[in-house]
Amino acid sequence: MTKSVMVIGGGIAGIQAALDLAERGIEVDLVEKLPSIGGRMAQLDKTFPTNDCSICILAPKMADCYAHPSINVMTYSEVKDISGKAGDFKVDVLKKARFVDEEKCNGCGDCFKVCPVSLPNEFDMGMRERPAIYVPFLQSVPRAATIDRAGVAPCSDKCPAGLSAQGYVSLIRAEKFKEAVDLIRRTIPLPSVCGRICHHPCEEGCNRTDVDEPVAIAGLKAFVGDYVREQGEDVPTPIEEERKEKVAVVGAGPAGLAAAYRLALKGFKVKMFEATSKPGGMLWWGIPDYRLPKDVLTAEVDHLLAHGIEIEYGKTVGKDLALADLKKEYDAVFLAIGAHKSLKLGVPGEDIEGVLHGVDFLHRVADKETVKIGKKVAVIGGGNAAMDAARTALRMGSDVTVIYRRTKDEMPAIAAEIKGAEEEGVKFEFLASPVNIQGKDGKITAIECIRMKLGEPDQSGRPRPVPVDGSEFTVEVDTVIPAVSQAPDLDALGSKDLAVTKWKTLEVNPGNLSTNIPGVFAGGDAVSGPASAVEAFAAGNKAARYIEKSLNGESIEPEPEEKNEHVITLEDIKARMDGDIPKSERVLRQHIPDDKRKTSFEEVERVFTKEEALKEAARCVNCGPCSQCEACAIACGPNAIDYNMKDQVVTLNPGAVIVATGFDVWDPTSASEYGYKKYPNVYTAMEYERMINASGPTGGHIVRRSDGEHPKKLAFIQCVGSRNPQVGHPYCCSVCCMHATKEAMLAREHYEDANSTIFYKDMRACAKGFNEYIERAKSDYGVSYINSDATVQENAETNNPVVVFDVGGKQQTEEFDAVVLATTLVPRKDTIELAKKLGLKLTEFGFFESPDSILDFGKSDLPGIYLAGYCAGPADIPESVAQGSSAAAKAAEVLANSGGG
Amino acid sequence: MPENTSTEKEKPRIGVFICHCGSNIGGFVDVKAVTEYASTLPDVAYAADNLYTCAEDGLNNIKDSIKEHNLDRVIVSSCTPRTHAPLFQRTCEAAGVNKYMFTFVNIREHCSWVHMKEKEKATQKAKDLVRMGVARARFLEPQEETKVDVTPTALVVGGGVSGMTAALSLANMGFPVHLVEKDEELGGFVKNLHGLMMTTKSANETIKPLIDKVNAHKNITQHLNSHVASVEGFIGNYDISIGGDGAEAKEVKVGTIIVATGAVPLVPEGLFGYKEHPNVITSTEFEELCNKKELPKLKSVAFIQCVGARGQKVSYCSRVCCNVAIKSAINIAENRDNMLGVTEEKAAETGEVVEEPAAEKKAEEEGSDRRRRRRGRGRGDEDEAGEEAAPSSGVEVTVFNRDVMSYGVEHELEFNKAREKRVKFVRYLPDNLPKVSVKDGKLEVGYFHETLKMERTMPVDLVILSTPLVAQPDAATLSQLLKVPLGQDGFFQEAHVKLRPVDFATDGVYVCGTCRGPADISEAVSQAAAAASRASIPLANGFVQAEALTSIVDETKCTGCGTCVETCPYSALRKNEEGITEVIVAACKGCGCCGATCPEGAITMTHYTDQQLLAEAKAALEEV
Repeated sequence: MTKSVMVIGGGIAGIQAALDLAERGIEVDLVEKLPSIGGRMAQLDKTFPTNDCSICILAPKMADCYAHPSINVMTYSEVKDISGKAGDFKVDVLKKARFVDEEKCNGCGDCFKVCPVSLPNEFDMGMRERPAIYVPFLQSVPRAATIDRAGVAPCSDKCPAGLSAQGYVSLIRAEKFKEAVDLIRRTIPLPSVCGRICHHPCEEGCNRTDVDEPVAIAGLKAFVGDYVREQGEDVPTPIEEERKEKVAVVGAGPAGLAAAYRLALKGFKVKMFEATSKPGGMLWWGIPDYRLPKDVLTAEVDHLLAHGIEIEYGKTVGKDLALADLKKEYDAVFLAIGAHKSLKLGVPGEDIEGVLHGVDFLHRVADKETVKIGKKVAVIGGGNAAMDAARTALRMGSDVTVIYRRTKDEMPAIAAEIKGAEEEGVKFEFLASPVNIQGKDGKITAIECIRMKLGEPDQSGRPRPVPVDGSEFTVEVDTVIPAVSQAPDLDALGSKDLAVTKWKTLEVNPGNLSTNIPGVFAGGDAVSGPASAVEAFAAGNKAARYIEKSLNGESIEPEPEEKNEHVITLEDIKARMDGDIPKSERVLRQHIPDDKRKTSFEEVERVFTKEEALKEAARCVNCGPCSQCEACAIACGPNAIDYNMKDQVVTLNPGAVIVATGFDVWDPTSASEYGYKKYPNVYTAMEYERMINASGPTGGHIVRRSDGEHPKKLAFIQCVGSRNPQVGHPYCCSVCCMHATKEAMLAREHYEDANSTIFYKDMRACAKGFNEYIERAKSDYGVSYINSDATVQENAETNNPVVVFDVGGKQQTEEFDAVVLATTLVPRKDTIELAKKLGLKLTEFGFFESPDSILDFGKSDLPGIYLAGYCAGPADIPESVAQGSSAAAKAAEVLANSGGG
Repeated sequence: MPENTSTEKEKPRIGVFICHCGSNIGGFVDVKAVTEYASTLPDVAYAADNLYTCAEDGLNNIKDSIKEHNLDRVIVSSCTPRTHAPLFQRTCEAAGVNKYMFTFVNIREHCSWVHMKEKEKATQKAKDLVRMGVARARFLEPQEETKVDVTPTALVVGGGVSGMTAALSLANMGFPVHLVEKDEELGGFVKNLHGLMMTTKSANETIKPLIDKVNAHKNITQHLNSHVASVEGFIGNYDISIGGDGAEAKEVKVGTIIVATGAVPLVPEGLFGYKEHPNVITSTEFEELCNKKELPKLKSVAFIQCVGARGQKVSYCSRVCCNVAIKSAINIAENRDNMLGVTEEKAAETGEVVEEPAAEKKAEEEGSDRRRRRRGRGRGDEDEAGEEAAPSSGVEVTVFNRDVMSYGVEHELEFNKAREKRVKFVRYLPDNLPKVSVKDGKLEVGYFHETLKMERTMPVDLVILSTPLVAQPDAATLSQLLKVPLGQDGFFQEAHVKLRPVDFATDGVYVCGTCRGPADISEAVSQAAAAASRASIPLANGFVQAEALTSIVDETKCTGCGTCVETCPYSALRKNEEGITEVIVAACKGCGCCGATCPEGAITMTHYTDQQLLAEAKAALEEV
């Protein structure tokens, strides 16, 4: 038999029940859905009829509850499932990950200040914003932060390197540029470079895509990299711990640079060997200046090298030095030699002069070599190398035609590159494949092609091009640049010991990038074949991680790479926002003038200005909503942040259950006669309550939404949605008459010149001291009471709400500065779901049913489950407290009679 | 020489731990400077600053320093004791320092957060606060907390629905209960009623199961025809003398007491023709007539609400009367239980309904009728019912009211139902009360029609006056016996109007039902179970633990004047046999009222001694 009781709901009723039980030695599990206990009472400014400060009287109870050794407060938790019977229930409680260690967090709030995400603060009825890491209110219990993380943003999810794109977009929006660059660098060592050349799968994932256009995520990355560097803030990170181990990195392309940088940050002595004269690999040799200016690349590479990385150029492993020697001299070797060998077309005539292979062509142009090309150039292929070759040839004054065997839709090149090529005047011959290259006098005269048609999808999922018999045609050209594919130049490595795949790439364990030679790792294009820079960065990062492990003497057994976090969908966001996402136009990057594009190698797309970047970053819809920017973890003194925290299911075994889930505030927008959300100066009572609270969104000032002025003349309209069968709430909420009176009194307390009028049906001031309170409101606070229904219109000029009411059957109107609506209090949204789980009946209005409401109020229709507070029907605070104690008594009786307690 | 050694030994060794609280304090107060300053203060053996004192390393720092520097008292200068004192006290105890040798200095809420714009002054104030804390800490003394045994038996005073419910709950938990009822049978006020709200069952039918359970429960000892004659003792240990009619007083020992003595209806002497005409009766009398089936034959009935209430004889609204009137009005309209009487001679007294002028009717239909219907029940419902349709029983029922207090779900639905049954609700304002008069031997009610703004008259057969519940006449006696307060209306006054609705400020005594103010049965029952919960806590624990924060009486100075006994809000002081005041440690809350009022200065508080407080105050005024 169990001795414990579970209380669901940490409002005042639940707190009281828990304290009563705990004080008599019964163990209590208090399950609260929100990150803090306190419930609705915590939102109130004062309490009638004494006008005591609500939180001042509640907070000690919250603290007592949390500190009580017999109460296990489980915040941010929900009941998942229940079985069993009175005396012996089994309850599964979902303890949602708050990503902050409740024990370690001391509530100092340092993290709130650095979080770049802003969300409506539910506690303040959305009247101000809160960060994604937050405590709902100052006096929250526990005063431990919670990260509002519903999942991973699709942009971050799609990044092959696993960079939190939402993170840096959020940081940029918050003008935390340096932090944004730091975040990017933790995954992508070259932010400015990557922002320019990445094929940005992040943008394809963006949830804005289906609203208007994706956020320009890559462009923002380019901006922030440049901006921070230009501001002189891009200083190297101090190395905390020097290590004696040495690592050789072969190849200074993106994979090699990433690995070298990571290892250097860890304090290892890193030496890079680069076969060419410049760093960057394909970034230098394969990407023309008009996409990636060399000075940007140089600056970013220099930043990396400044972390104590040595680099030697013109050293080819296999030629200038042997892998075996590296192995001897260094504790680990990372091979990242890339894929620089152009693959041939395999058609007759390919060896005629004037056939220049794409990568070689680009390399030579990059090397400032004088490359001769003709007037009419055919570029073969549809990838980025083909586009780069075509656009480069165009800039050299040639007429360029791209020949591609599928259609534009299947082209693997980045859309922007294709668009750029088209804009600049590159011609396209789709569904065509070279058959032979024709020449005369050792010079090319034409290229013969065959027409293709699209067949069944091949392994890549793209339709297979099938030649159409007899459709051969010729294009007159004098230069042919095949740019179909590249492969790693493994022969150059000169090692017979390294295992190689059948595709002539280096063979590695994909989990840790180790080769068959211990201590030698490999990654990047040399392993994957030609791929994107961002994938190469990812490989470099991974290699560095496992090289570090191996140098630490740890196991390099691949860690499971589970990626099972929920990816946020547009529907998730709409549900959170309670509606549609407002449209907002994507900020376009400015282009240099068209004529310059055809003739110069100047960068085509201008990087965002700061203003453009801020505007574009503001389009982000905070999918996470936590952006996973890691700012909080960096700021946290006690190291309480734990991003790896997982939801937990805890099984409880209570003998009795007390349900005290409270109420929600009905949204009166649909009752258009009150003008809520239509007229700015119409408020709900709960909004007013937050405004008038000193720690609320307006710091205790009542201000008009329209102009920020203090309203001098206020109207309070009662029974908005309640006592009204048409909207399904024929009942009276029991508390609003007194609540409105209190709010009217407080208006006068705050502003001597404030006058309030309350429009009511019946002034239900029917408990201890209540009638006296009303009389005091009239005599001491000048509150007027008018017995009438009322609706609201607006004086459009002044934004003053106009109340329409009737006295003695005559319709009257009166203009006010603001109107406060006493909206219906309804059961919590998830009551139906909870009732289903618990097997409890609800009344027709959705409150939990207490079958014997006369002699055994609070006893549910199931033995062992008891009700307290507003969830069982309208009740004010003292009634809720009494019901909390009452439910505790009933639970204690159950335990006493089931052998426990 | 030995004397010196002893002084050396007893010299306090204070550890001061000053917290940065991240940037919360550290951002505005120069914590290093305050720490340095603290180390210069007298008897400070060690001072240190922590980024977060409450974090693991901060707490370890306290523990380690206590050992390393042989500290015997600890000050943490950081945030608020409300949330963090227990944590630091536990840390001290874990390192062998009595928790009363710990003191808190708040330099966050009291300093850094309110002086964010004046950093230098904030630092100076933090120094001042620390100096004050050190000054007090030098005089701290270890304290032992006391436990007092509790007799695991309860006393419930009052055998109405509240008292029975409370007694039954306690009995079900396994505690013996003495249930004292002044009447000869259980049932209280409800047993005299005909029907109840929210049920079609009769009152007696409804409460019979409860009475049966109480009668059958072995843990409940009933004392009928009895009253509490005397009360001695304090929480956990009350000696109660129960007096009976002529019988010898019975002595019982109980640990806790629940007061559930109920209320009585106001007798409306001199109001609305009460006692002047036999057919002007109170709602309670109406219930009795229904029970006896002695109602006159009725064609038209008027209820007048708030008779004597809401600023007349009493200032409050009695909460239940509207809903009682609604219930009765529905019963009449439905002629439920054939309750209407049979006396033929009384039929002659009935008058005729006065037809309303057509013009008035027209005026009624205009205005906001349409909007009101769409919006649900507005006011001015008398218009809606109209005169052409009468309830099915053929009886006109009119409820003259100020506001219809049908709060919540059930009552409001009943209100709606009454109107569906053609019960008319006519509002009157307090400066224009309805007038009950007799014209040509016939009873009539004159009133001011608030919507039409004109005087009107209505002939009626019966006027039912809804009078408020008022305190029991003997409530004052019981309040004196138990030393618990009554509010200005004569109802028992709970400890806190919001958060302690069924507690008294005095530990061990609890309150529920209408003796604390008007309530309907369902509310009274909730309160009763709540009181049972509260009253059972000490019983279940078997002891009460008193914080060692109590007053101490210097017997040599006490003159036995009794001022403190009068002043104590918790009844924690009493005079002993020698006439000298003694403290009931279990009941004392350490509030200090007695110490402040004692003319002889004979009372001090543990942990807040005069010496400690004066030292702190002097330190505050010290020039640095």
